[in-house]
Amino acid sequence: MTTRPIAPKTTNTVWPQRLKDHVLPYLLVAPPILLMTLLIFLPAGQAIVETVWIDGAVTVAEYIKFFQSPILTANLWFTFWITLATVGLLFVIGLPLSLYLRFARGRIAAAVQMLALFPLFVPGVILAYALIRAIGPHGLFDTLLHQIGIDGYVSPYLKPQGILIALVWQEIPFTVLVLTAGLRQVEDTMIESARDVGASDWQTFWRIIFPLIQRALVIVFSLNVIGTFGAFTIPYLLGPAQPMMMGVSMQQTFNNYMDRTGALTQAVLTFAFCAAVGVLYVRTVTRSPEGRP
Amino acid sequence: MSSTVAKAALRLGLVSALGLAACAPTTPAPTALPAATQAPEVSVINFVTDSDTNISDWIQNKVAPAFEAKYPQYDVQVTIVRGVGGGSGDVADRALAALQSNADPQVDVIEFDATSKPELIEAGLWQKLDSTTVPNASTLLSGIQTSEYSLPYRGSQVVLAYDSSKISEDEVPHTFAELVEWIKTNPGQFVYCRPDKGGSGGNFVTRAIYEVTGQDPSLFEKGTPNPDLVSQFPKAWDLLSEIHPAIFDNGAYPAGNTAVLTLLANGSVSMATAWSDQALQGLANGSLPPNIKLTQLTDLPFPGGNARLSVPRNSRNLQGALDFVNYLMGTDGQVSVVKDIGGFPAANWNTLPQELQQEYTTVIAETVPLWPGGDWDALKNQGWYENVATNIPMGS
Repeated sequence: MTTRPIAPKTTNTVWPQRLKDHVLPYLLVAPPILLMTLLIFLPAGQAIVETVWIDGAVTVAEYIKFFQSPILTANLWFTFWITLATVGLLFVIGLPLSLYLRFARGRIAAAVQMLALFPLFVPGVILAYALIRAIGPHGLFDTLLHQIGIDGYVSPYLKPQGILIALVWQEIPFTVLVLTAGLRQVEDTMIESARDVGASDWQTFWRIIFPLIQRALVIVFSLNVIGTFGAFTIPYLLGPAQPMMMGVSMQQTFNNYMDRTGALTQAVLTFAFCAAVGVLYVRTVTRSPEGRP
Repeated sequence: MSSTVAKAALRLGLVSALGLAACAPTTPAPTALPAATQAPEVSVINFVTDSDTNISDWIQNKVAPAFEAKYPQYDVQVTIVRGVGGGSGDVADRALAALQSNADPQVDVIEFDATSKPELIEAGLWQKLDSTTVPNASTLLSGIQTSEYSLPYRGSQVVLAYDSSKISEDEVPHTFAELVEWIKTNPGQFVYCRPDKGGSGGNFVTRAIYEVTGQDPSLFEKGTPNPDLVSQFPKAWDLLSEIHPAIFDNGAYPAGNTAVLTLLANGSVSMATAWSDQALQGLANGSLPPNIKLTQLTDLPFPGGNARLSVPRNSRNLQGALDFVNYLMGTDGQVSVVKDIGGFPAANWNTLPQELQQEYTTVIAETVPLWPGGDWDALKNQGWYENVATNIPMGS
């Protein structure tokens, strides 16, 4: 240090600058990357290896076993089906709701927004028990219908519909939040000018709004698919005993059948599907909105 | 200035109090201060449990005071290790380490099933608990003691719970065959939970397995499942599949014991299997309406389970430990099990007061079949999910 008395000034200004430019960013991203590596990539990699490296040889026997089991494949298809139906319903309900919240003003709109966001603050297990009491057999809904003389109510409790209703209700806030955020980027002036040239409501939506919120739509789609596909609490408490969603199936295989590799195989398949959808999400969010034609 | 004087005085007082306590000829006691004020011959019994709150509260607030009133020479210290590492198992391991190093195990009575750690039995940790050491053990229900090193002291058994406002007394099934008949003639009125999600459903399935294997629970031994018996499981799946369409809502199985009780309480079904203690406590606190009645099968009862006590041989208060176990096995302890926690006695019902026997006459069983669990459970649950709960035909 003392042998280089001439350079202190330059090192003093350049070195901190370098530190700031080249070292600090890596230091800042190191914790999350380390966490991701240790808690996600490493165990995921281990899981994949464990399912294909059995008794000292590479084999896909576990996967063949999975796809040959009618129960497990039924569980997989059931999960696909519930996921598609949930996400479809979320768009059917969430999009009109978000359009309303984007353009409506006043107290009613504020109240609707409150209601739409409310499920955000309700934990899944509470929601499941609340729904059992509300729409379950001899529950609130059943009793009200009975009061006005309607009998023969079929409860969705312990049926696929039960899962569907609860998951949709739970995911509405996220859907509405992202879609309204997307819609706020559509400027009023564009809609007004479309109207000025005689566009109908439908044309305004389809030609102006829809192309501009595609990004939000993809985000809603991918994150809801991932969230629903791996759902556990709600399908566990509200769904049928069989078929079951993948989350429940994994827990079952691991805990009750004490079949670790079988559960891992299901986890890897679930992870693979969610990762594929995740790629779609990452590509959408990393692409800057300005970069699009 | 005055504050330092006060502090010094306080310190002096503390020192003298501790000195007094040290002089008191008690066995090693963590709570030395109160011991100083009690009669000098009081000895501490360290009781360790990892059971749920209802049990630890009961021991602490009901059993211990009643025992101390009867045996003033003892002071029961309850330590709760629920959710702490391996619970009672860890304490048992520690007791063995103390045995090997001749140290104080710091435990005299432990709620622990010695058979769950065979290596500790082999190492000679446990005191034998039979009628020579615990006189009241002679009243034990037959067949529920699985090891001479642990004494079952309270139980819970699956019973049949039914809505007496819908089902008349003479209609109530008394055998498993009658129950199956009843379910078929009353579609949608019976429910049991998924066998892996609650013991009330699990033991219904177990009872079906007993039914098709000759009603002999003793055939099912702990450890590796016997292939001869496993090969007969499909008969149980056939039996359960037969009633599958007649189960609540065309074969809907809730995910737990309480979910089943909810359906029974709100009138969605009129009969279900339930844990005796959950049902009795539900009736006592009103979460089950009074028209719900309980009964037990008379051919072979539904299985159940027992909580057990063990005493390490190196307990520093062995006599106190045995006296406490003996008290719990006696009439006072067993009546408290029934009345205060809705549990089942481990002693024969006929050793309990007449009026209590009458009150529970419908659920009293001479035996409590014990299902071995472990690998047997895996086979039972998997078989049920693959054959009963589903309409998907099993392929290769």
